[in-house]
Amino acid sequence: MIKASLSVAFALGMAGSASAQTLNMMKGIDAPHYDAQRTSWGPTSDIVNMIQDTLVALDWDGRTPIPYLAKSWTVSPDGKLYTFKLRDDVTFCSGKKMTAEDVIFTFKRLKSPEIKGPFAWRAGNIKDLRAPDPYTVEYELAEPFSELLLQLTMFTNAILNKDNVEALGKDYGVKGADGTGPWCLDSWQPRTSITLKRHDAYRWGPSMYKNKGPVKFEKMVIRIVPEDSSRVAAMMAGQFDTTHQFPSQFIAQAKVSPMLTVTEAKPNFQLLYFGFKTTRPMVADKRVREAMSIAIDRAAIAKGILLGNADPAFTIVDPAALDHDPKTAGIVKQDVERAKKLLDEAGWKPGADGIREKDGVKLAPKVYYTANANSARVAEAIQGYLRKVGVHWNLQPWDSTIASVKMAEQDYEIWSVTVPYLSAGDLMNIYFDSANIPTPNRMNWKDAETDDWLKHGRAALTPEERAKFYAMVQQKVMNEHLWMPVLNINMHEVTNRKLKGMRPHMIYQNTFYKGLDASF
Amino acid sequence: MSVEAIGSAAVEAPAAGRSHVLRRLMRDKVAATATVVLSLIVLAAVFAPLISPYDPYYTDLTKVMQPPSAEHWFGTDNTGRDILSRVFYGTRNTLMLGLVGVLIGGLLGGLLGILAAFYPRLDGWIMRLVDVMLAFPAILIGLAVAAIFGAGLTAVVIALVVATVPDVARVARGAAVGVMSQEFMEAGRAVGVSDRTLIWRYLTLNCISTIFVFLTLRFGQIILIGSALGFLGMGAQPPTAELGMMAAQGRDFLFMAPHIATIPSLAIFVIVLAANLLGDALRDVLDPRLQQ
Repeated sequence: MIKASLSVAFALGMAGSASAQTLNMMKGIDAPHYDAQRTSWGPTSDIVNMIQDTLVALDWDGRTPIPYLAKSWTVSPDGKLYTFKLRDDVTFCSGKKMTAEDVIFTFKRLKSPEIKGPFAWRAGNIKDLRAPDPYTVEYELAEPFSELLLQLTMFTNAILNKDNVEALGKDYGVKGADGTGPWCLDSWQPRTSITLKRHDAYRWGPSMYKNKGPVKFEKMVIRIVPEDSSRVAAMMAGQFDTTHQFPSQFIAQAKVSPMLTVTEAKPNFQLLYFGFKTTRPMVADKRVREAMSIAIDRAAIAKGILLGNADPAFTIVDPAALDHDPKTAGIVKQDVERAKKLLDEAGWKPGADGIREKDGVKLAPKVYYTANANSARVAEAIQGYLRKVGVHWNLQPWDSTIASVKMAEQDYEIWSVTVPYLSAGDLMNIYFDSANIPTPNRMNWKDAETDDWLKHGRAALTPEERAKFYAMVQQKVMNEHLWMPVLNINMHEVTNRKLKGMRPHMIYQNTFYKGLDASF
Repeated sequence: MSVEAIGSAAVEAPAAGRSHVLRRLMRDKVAATATVVLSLIVLAAVFAPLISPYDPYYTDLTKVMQPPSAEHWFGTDNTGRDILSRVFYGTRNTLMLGLVGVLIGGLLGGLLGILAAFYPRLDGWIMRLVDVMLAFPAILIGLAVAAIFGAGLTAVVIALVVATVPDVARVARGAAVGVMSQEFMEAGRAVGVSDRTLIWRYLTLNCISTIFVFLTLRFGQIILIGSALGFLGMGAQPPTAELGMMAAQGRDFLFMAPHIATIPSLAIFVIVLAANLLGDALRDVLDPRLQQ
């Protein structure tokens, strides 16, 4: 069967053989549009990172912002004024020169109410934007934002061509999207393929790449292949050169394939967690939440369910991430007997069928997650563990088109998503600030101390001060067991062996990032 | 001859032929084999808790995706559960889904068809409703229900009922229209027999064998639709075992552990084949035109 599949895929590959100057990429899901400011959607972000650039780039270590479209910057002592010096040799794919006017337009648009940018907060609380000259931007904040530079590396802050956005109006991101990136958007057939062509004028690659530009391919064709098994067969048959969405359960086979190279993104912060809605009676008691969290064997789940393509996560912030608090390391430890004791103490006693009950109610929380994702398989494994301590997880998967809407509702106890993040502050400001209730703060966690510490962390003027406040938040939310961290999911770039120079990046699941060093 | 006597004769006919039907079924080798296989499947489903070697919900992540062995005859799935035990329980759920779909759908469809035939003024309305229902594929209905209310057995049952009702209604109406033209129906009306009695004792009981045969033929298709919805993730949710869902869970591991998807798929194949063969044989036995 495997041989037959490979033969078919190989035949398809031969039939569609492209020129050596074309890079063939494959991904599993398309985006509704390519306007980075109007979405938090990962499938938009990877393409945007190819066709557009940010003021600063994120170095391979996942924590250091380095010059990109801004060749240098200064920060005022009060942390409110950032002065960016822009490169003067940058042009958009359309040929227009990039100037401070485009930068100011970009951030004004991002903050405008019409855009409703879900990630607009990543640009800080902007008070004013000024351009003293065409290549200088004064970026003034109403209050300090200690992670501004880190956040400016995100796709949602990519610099737009003012003329292009104004000309396309509501069709921007659908009928076109100009950018200064190493690749130019050539054509897009929704749910089928995206074609990018080389940006010939590109010479401003960030220092993390050996090649500063242009890219070594005339064009790149990115095909959408939703079915996991088809992507595996197509890669193994040599039909495609690279993919960053190779199913994790097949990584082991890809590693031994003579045709493929598997490279893992390091570091990589991508947490699969289960969150507890604290306002629901069934999980309102901290002891119940802790019991569920310590009754599972994370290492066995990583090995058995993700086949070793994940690491067990015992803290919400990965130990390698910026501002991780080492003191949180011992809070979650597998202890089945303690889990049972905690449930007993909380008043949940085993019923006739082994499932615990209290006041006639079974301990069977509803668990929401997106179908066909790692969460589905992991939830099933956890369900097996929890049955052994008398908890029945009532699993409710939702199609990806409706999952986010259902998770914004209030009639369930637990949910799961996999979240890529940059730092402790990045992760916690999104999820634990009470201003973000009901979503993404789906726990309905409303705590004045947490809000205050997050605010102080955001406004900190030194890294030490920021780390101190974010450590306090980590300890609080971990001790409250608001989340059940389970796995840090590995990210891979799987490439054909003939493709050289690929190093996967960790930013927002965009392992390809700019792809400047890639060549045959 | 009294009207009651006419009615009795009309409804007695199928009962009188029951032993004849069974004899004819058993004489047909294919039908006999299908009956035996289906009986064994039903027995395995009914007695699943007694004959399953393991707890079908017990996970063991140290034994994931093990191939068939003496310890686990059908191997283990991706969470280390015993596939044989899950096939027994899965068959139970799959058969129950088919049965519920066929029974509720048959009941509603039969009622609609008979009412359409008995009350000509309702005929147009009911048949247009049936046309509308026929316009929606069952899979689409299941997906829509699951998207709105969440995946689960309720979504599957609704889809299966919607898939069954229009076809049964058409068949029931066809059979009932034939019975309506019989003299005993006219005689019943003439002597003032109530509509309820006419519909139940004279019309329904004379159409029931036709509806029954259709439903036995339909049973296999309903199992397939139910399994397809389970495969698409719209049906039973873990840890409940259901054959379609079990096949879907194995799909991701086809290259490394093909038994996870293959075994429940084969179980679906055997159930549907047996049900269809039995349905065909029943039709042959009960259809007087074929007997001639």
